[in-house]
Amino acid sequence: MPLDTSTYSLALLRVDGRRWNELRRLHAQIRIQAAADGSSYLEMGNTKVMCVLTGPSEAQQQQQGQRRGQATAGGGKNASINVSIVVAGFASVDHKKRGRNDKRTQELELTIAKTFASVVHTHLFPNSSISLALHVLSADGSLLAALLNAATLALIDAGIPMSDYIAACTAGSTSSYAAADDSADPLLDLNTQEEQELPFITVATLGETDRVAVLNCESRVQVSRLEGMLAVAVDGCKEVKQLLDKAIKAKGAKMIREGAAEKSDAMAMDLDE
Amino acid sequence: MPREAEPSLNERNFVSRALEEGLRVDGRKFDQCRPVSLKFGDEFGVAEVQFGKTKVLVKVSAEVTVPYTDRPFEGVFSIASELSPMVAPSFEVNRPTETEVLLSRMLEKTIRRSGALDTESLCLVAGKKCWSIRADVHVLSLDGNLTDAACLAVVAALRHFRKPDSSIEGEILTVYTPAEREPVPLSWLHSPFCITFSYFGEEGDTAVLLDTTWLEEQLRTSSCTFSLNRHGEICQVSKLGGVSIDAPVFVQCAQVALAKSKEYTELVDRKLAEDAKSRDKGGLMAELTAENDR
Amino acid sequence: MLFSYSSLLQGRNPSLKSIPRTQNPTRLTHRAGAMSSGPIYVLPGDEIDASLIPSHPKKPLRLGPGLRHAPPNDIIPTVAGQFVVERQKNAIRVETTSGRYIPRVGELVIGTVHHSGAESYFVTLSDFTSSALLPHLSFESATRKTRPMLANGALVYARVSLAHKHMDPELECVSPSTGKSDGLGPLTDGMLFPISLGMSRRLMLSKSAQDGKVVVLDELASAGLQFETATGRNGRFWVDSENIKTISLVGRAVTETDEKGLNVDQQKKLVRSLIKELS
Repeated sequence: MPLDTSTYSLALLRVDGRRWNELRRLHAQIRIQAAADGSSYLEMGNTKVMCVLTGPSEAQQQQQGQRRGQATAGGGKNASINVSIVVAGFASVDHKKRGRNDKRTQELELTIAKTFASVVHTHLFPNSSISLALHVLSADGSLLAALLNAATLALIDAGIPMSDYIAACTAGSTSSYAAADDSADPLLDLNTQEEQELPFITVATLGETDRVAVLNCESRVQVSRLEGMLAVAVDGCKEVKQLLDKAIKAKGAKMIREGAAEKSDAMAMDLDE
Repeated sequence: MPREAEPSLNERNFVSRALEEGLRVDGRKFDQCRPVSLKFGDEFGVAEVQFGKTKVLVKVSAEVTVPYTDRPFEGVFSIASELSPMVAPSFEVNRPTETEVLLSRMLEKTIRRSGALDTESLCLVAGKKCWSIRADVHVLSLDGNLTDAACLAVVAALRHFRKPDSSIEGEILTVYTPAEREPVPLSWLHSPFCITFSYFGEEGDTAVLLDTTWLEEQLRTSSCTFSLNRHGEICQVSKLGGVSIDAPVFVQCAQVALAKSKEYTELVDRKLAEDAKSRDKGGLMAELTAENDR
Repeated sequence: MLFSYSSLLQGRNPSLKSIPRTQNPTRLTHRAGAMSSGPIYVLPGDEIDASLIPSHPKKPLRLGPGLRHAPPNDIIPTVAGQFVVERQKNAIRVETTSGRYIPRVGELVIGTVHHSGAESYFVTLSDFTSSALLPHLSFESATRKTRPMLANGALVYARVSLAHKHMDPELECVSPSTGKSDGLGPLTDGMLFPISLGMSRRLMLSKSAQDGKVVVLDELASAGLQFETATGRNGRFWVDSENIKTISLVGRAVTETDEKGLNVDQQKKLVRSLIKELS
């Protein structure tokens, strides 16, 4: 059952053939739904998530500011951000049904809502609400990271002003918590199998800076491993940010070519790229 | 329903101005906790923790039940944390608020998922009978730093708890009353503690505070909770959103949290020893002796 | 948000169940009729000795908070606390240190502006109560054009002008007869400290040092600190000073005196130790 760390130390290749600092294939798309104010589809390896955004629209008079199965952050005079996550029944192998009041899902929703409440310029939209509906189509590790990335893309697609991207990824450590071996390597972007075996952290950074917006760890790990994992994860986030940026620029270029948007003089973008 | 009064502009300005000058409203240092008090009840498994005006009471109970079918060799362990209207009228029964969800997730991750309690030792007859250990968290009053106080109380109560002794002969399971056999402590593997750091200022770098009061908690821009045991194992870290913080700060915070966790371990050990001493009547032989003190 | 379930009765054994009724110290005092021998405490439902109730030849008897008139001629306390008699006014009341603030006409309070309506500000006086109304025009020399603009979250020192059980209370920052503010109005800067209702009452006595046994503020002032304070009957204490340290110090001195129930000597000692910390 345990991940065969002996083969890893021999060939330095992970179960899916990646090196320690390699991301899985990241495929991002925006504006996938014409009806939504903003939408995105994101694949990180076999983790596939979709985000549909509505808003900023007039805030509904919600009772106590919260409806069931939704997490809200911000609010009051500024725009509130509502997040709801639906995990499809077919998303993982075990077909476990997660209810709406599942505390783990609620925690994820809260995390995403709070993260974006501090990045989105909510003061520009007083008394309104931005609703993010996240759908998990396939879960294969790094779920929170994928959801955060998808939400960033949808917010950019909707043209909502933000101070920077939120880019997220996971990092793990090959040492089990009991072993204090110094040869343990940090790993980047874990899949489900690795997540189950190894301690890992989820990190979201503000764009390409070293500033961490989300740091989440749910497994036992030596405190000395934290620094190494954090460094690898922050580097990974920078890479993710560039990939997200590329996807958005590609879509923008395509829209200009198709005449859906006008090219402004201020744009320093090269369309032939 | 009317809401709680929000901090006024004057309070907001004062707190941030004071923090810039290196002062806290109640005169503590940034990394100084309020006086922590830990008391055990007369019964086993009751602990009350107080951080200033924050007060949490935990009661642990045990009963024999049927184990879950997918885990026949493990006992049942659950932590129930519900915030009642006693804390504040805004908390309603059966309607978990954000605070409540986060608190119960935090305790779950810190104590249950990290394997602090050996659930396999709770098994009596595989697939048929096991102990169900339940820790009920009651928040009596709230003035900030609820997570740290609740976690300390749960760990202390579980370590203080004694479950009735039992034996199996053939197919017959016997559970002894405390009079027949001395109750036994739970098989406890390690003691994790939550330590919450609160960050202030637009960039989150004005001040990093420990053990915040409710007023400070309302004004912080971000927070991060570390759960560690004294061996330096992180059981859980969560910084769920809020203003972004420079990555190296977390590494420093983890070291502070480790020192704090060792402090809490020592506190619980000391209080447990004191409690055991006050209960010690000289063992069973002293009780059974027929001699009187003259 | 502070809700403590303890300290309902200060200076009194709280384990009421264990005391047989005949040994109740309150009763003994009553029976002896020794009115001058220290404070008298009552419990909800207690009988009040007839000799304690003042009888003025002309003025009607006035019942203050914590007392209820049960016809035909019984007076029953509804809260636990100190029974206070004011012979000149022919009034009796029960004083408690805890509980939620209930506005009464003429009391000075410190409120937080929640938001501004069409005609008035909605002001929060205490947690989980409906807001009080402060009309835009009830400030000194305020007209429609020259009224003070208060931001959401601003503090205001006001007098309760209307208090009714079934209506939201109303406030004013101007004396209706003279048109002067008498020191009421917005409070800028400074810091607010929560104190118990009993403490705010003690602080607001005209001779708080003698009657209320509060000397911290006088001691702090005589130690050379310069500060400005305002006390609201709703359990709020506001301090302002040039120096942030002074504000924090004054606030801590008052809250500590309140929470620990310090006597005059202990208060003096506290001030001395705080001043030492400052220097």
